[in-house]
Amino acid sequence: MNKPLQKIYFDPYLFFSLFLLSTLGLFFLFSASNADISIVSKQLVYIVVGLTIMIVVSQPDPDIFRRTSGLFLIFSLLLLGITYLIGPEINGAQRWVRVGPFSFQSSELLKLALPIFLANFLFDKKLPIQRKEIIISLLIIFCCFFFVFRQPDLGTALIIACSGLFVLFLSGLSWTFMGGSFILLLISSPFIWNILLQPFQRQRIATFFNPESDPFGASWNIIQSKVAIGSGGLFGKGFGEGSQTQLNFLPETETDFIFSVIGEEFGFLGVLLLLSIYLFILLRCFYLALSARDRFCRLVIGGLSLTFAANLIINLCMVVGLLPVVGMPLPFISKGGSSLMSLFLAFGIIVSMGTHKKFLPQ
Amino acid sequence: MIFEERQVEKNNFSIRATLLFGLTILGLIAVLLQVFSLQISGYTDYQLAALNNKNYAVPVQSLRGEIFDRNGKVLIKNEPTFDLITRPNLIDDIDSFLEKIQPVIFLSENEISKYKKLQKEKAFVNKELVLKKDLSAEEIARFNVRSFNFQNAFIAQRYRRISDYPEIFSHVLGYTSRIENDFKSMPEIPRSHWKDIELMYAHGLIQGQTGLEQIYDDHLSGQHGQRVYEMNARGQFVQPLSFTQPVKGLDLYTNLDIDAQKSAAKFLGNRKGAVVAIDLESGGINVLYSSPTYSINELSNGMSENSFQSLLNDADKPFFNRALQGRYPPASTIKPAIGMYGLSNNIVNWDFEMKDPGFFTLPETGRVFRGWRKGGHGKVNLHKAFLVSSNTYFFSLAYQADIEELSNHLSSLGFGQKVCLDCFEEDPAFVPTPEWKYSVMNAGWVKGDTVNMGIGQGYLVTTPMQLANYAALLATKGLHIEPSLVALANQKKSLKTWNDKGFDNSDWAKMHQALLGVIESDYGTARSIRDLKDFQVAGKSGTAELVSLDSKEAYQEVRSSELLRDHSIIIAFGPMPNPRYAVSVVIENGESGGAVAGPVAIEVLKSLINE
Repeated sequence: MNKPLQKIYFDPYLFFSLFLLSTLGLFFLFSASNADISIVSKQLVYIVVGLTIMIVVSQPDPDIFRRTSGLFLIFSLLLLGITYLIGPEINGAQRWVRVGPFSFQSSELLKLALPIFLANFLFDKKLPIQRKEIIISLLIIFCCFFFVFRQPDLGTALIIACSGLFVLFLSGLSWTFMGGSFILLLISSPFIWNILLQPFQRQRIATFFNPESDPFGASWNIIQSKVAIGSGGLFGKGFGEGSQTQLNFLPETETDFIFSVIGEEFGFLGVLLLLSIYLFILLRCFYLALSARDRFCRLVIGGLSLTFAANLIINLCMVVGLLPVVGMPLPFISKGGSSLMSLFLAFGIIVSMGTHKKFLPQ
Repeated sequence: MIFEERQVEKNNFSIRATLLFGLTILGLIAVLLQVFSLQISGYTDYQLAALNNKNYAVPVQSLRGEIFDRNGKVLIKNEPTFDLITRPNLIDDIDSFLEKIQPVIFLSENEISKYKKLQKEKAFVNKELVLKKDLSAEEIARFNVRSFNFQNAFIAQRYRRISDYPEIFSHVLGYTSRIENDFKSMPEIPRSHWKDIELMYAHGLIQGQTGLEQIYDDHLSGQHGQRVYEMNARGQFVQPLSFTQPVKGLDLYTNLDIDAQKSAAKFLGNRKGAVVAIDLESGGINVLYSSPTYSINELSNGMSENSFQSLLNDADKPFFNRALQGRYPPASTIKPAIGMYGLSNNIVNWDFEMKDPGFFTLPETGRVFRGWRKGGHGKVNLHKAFLVSSNTYFFSLAYQADIEELSNHLSSLGFGQKVCLDCFEEDPAFVPTPEWKYSVMNAGWVKGDTVNMGIGQGYLVTTPMQLANYAALLATKGLHIEPSLVALANQKKSLKTWNDKGFDNSDWAKMHQALLGVIESDYGTARSIRDLKDFQVAGKSGTAELVSLDSKEAYQEVRSSELLRDHSIIIAFGPMPNPRYAVSVVIENGESGGAVAGPVAIEVLKSLINE
């Protein structure tokens, strides 16, 4: 115990880019919430707590995450189950678990637990991965997907499925298997459309492909979002000057559609800056994944950062009108503690996995 | 794991990770391209869409121009008052509303019943309904401190379209009426926004409906302004953004003369008829009066449905503009025209004399056409025929006429066509031709028809406007100017010259001499009005028969029914020998032309000349 000060595991690139991103997010949120200080200060608290969590989580050796991955998954699923049973219903969906004054979106944890668990399950398997392991992995992925999907929360469910599939893919899933399942998915898509999707989900997809069919109904959001972004032009209308945002033509400005606020008020240049930061973070994660010390760390960094990327791309594509509207926040910018906490937690794990090098003989 | 295998695994991971990260970067690029297409390529469209989302333009009503007479006296003005205005479509219980407001603003029984009636009739189309107009300062103060009790009532300055002579100018000036919107004048404002218009007139959005108000509506109406509000997604006004002042319409300077019009109204009294007077120098119409009449002030500012209906159903047809639309046989006033025809075509000359036994017998059938005086006028030449209005002379002249040529001749004098440049719904009346008779009555034209036309009876009908135009033509010796109500600077005055090789200046001089004699000589049929004035007047009177009768005795029977009595007509111009004004007067069922219509014509000429 008399050792010199222990090494602090810390990735300055990720830390400062995330710090910059979430701080910028505060300004965007200020404008998006029509200058609601209470929302912004709450978000500030989340960011401070989140950054702290990130630093703390990145300290222990990655091995601990490997060894506790099973428990972590079971805990996440239990939390989901509790939500399912007793969670309050908000907008027809049970997604939140309430602990005292805090409420937490239970599915957020699953986004972390599932890829870590699968990485643990697959990291020591021989290449190529055997059919038995594939089937077990897919079953676990499907169970997690299904639980969240039933909440119902299609967006998060898809992200969770992605997070598992990324790990499966990165760990060496055979190409023939992927080709076969893709064809299977195509064949079963009518079934998915008719049986699995809720009517409102079907409508969202339908209006995406034909937004002018119902300009005041379901496609209102997409149209107003495009108008907001498009009217921003090259330089934007200025901070707090976006008419689409400030006069409430744009829906959900604080959460799903905050990117439209940025586009409207800061223009193409603002968008360019924001996307550059995201790109930088992704490239840094890519580097960490490639240079990680072992297969488990590679898989976890890859799985978590790609999940973050999928989350990001889906939100962006939805807001600019390239994908149907699914509820999905813009990472590190949108209002919401659960999303922020789980993101900082994920990046804490990424930093831990990326900065701990090979075991050194003591 | 052995080292080799680990290396294989690592390579495998690198390829797959590169693939996935590459895909996400492609995703980011796709997003960036889409944002580029929205913000840079589509900027103009989306900027417009964003403006259309938030900007809500509301029209602001413009004031109409005012209308003046030829001396610059105002005929129709915009009169401002402070009114108590209500929003009738928002008031649920009208009785309790009135009960609540009674102690604050006194309302007479009449005002209450009128308001209730209008409220019931028009609640769904009115944005505003005036409850009490012309509030006193005290009433305004009393209301203002209690205004919070009356959410759907407010006090504001509103204008009324008012004439100080609401009855006598009604047909010529016309009235305005309410319209729902005026989006043709402001296509940039969506139709649905017109319900939020800022009104200037108590009667709402108005436009000219008849008369000069209608003919010169574009000139008078000006340009509405607009106020642009910023509106949020819930449709609430956030703040005003811009305001474009409405532009008041241009004033209208007419040729009308208040005093002369007043004389026409005064001396026509409550008889039915019309008076038209024309300034010979300018062609300006100084008087255009039709009786009976109605109040344009009431019509322009909201008349109740009942009053409107009773005006519509009035047997005397007050809405009917007799001056422009009344079709009357010209009777003896046509004789100068027939004389001109006879002279031009060498059928008669001023020296030709014939015997007038008091009737004319049509050689073909033996049908007898009677004169107005039993026993006739003895030997008559053209001059005397005008003075004594010899029917026999003109029967005989017309008998020798070719009907086609005679019709053309009458048309060349303005009959059967519109003669006024800017009159509202002028009736061209009618000059008959053989083709017309054949196609309408399925009968051939007979000589008797032409003979009847010689004294202005039969199928030929004219309007008082045409008679005045005809009088102007006679007065100016064919150099009259096309009549018009408005003296617009840019409006070219068009000289209507009438000439004919067979009718020279000496003919004109003799014609004037004869027509002067009709009034000024001892033998003239209209000599009874000779002493009403201190200047000389030329003219021709007429008595239009509504039923064709062979004897005076038969007419006495007909007389008992007023509506079958003869119309009394005169055309006149003066002062002679250099006439400045021409006038026509028609009095329905007035009988003897010179004595009845004559004084009205003289009084109108007097007020025009003695100004």
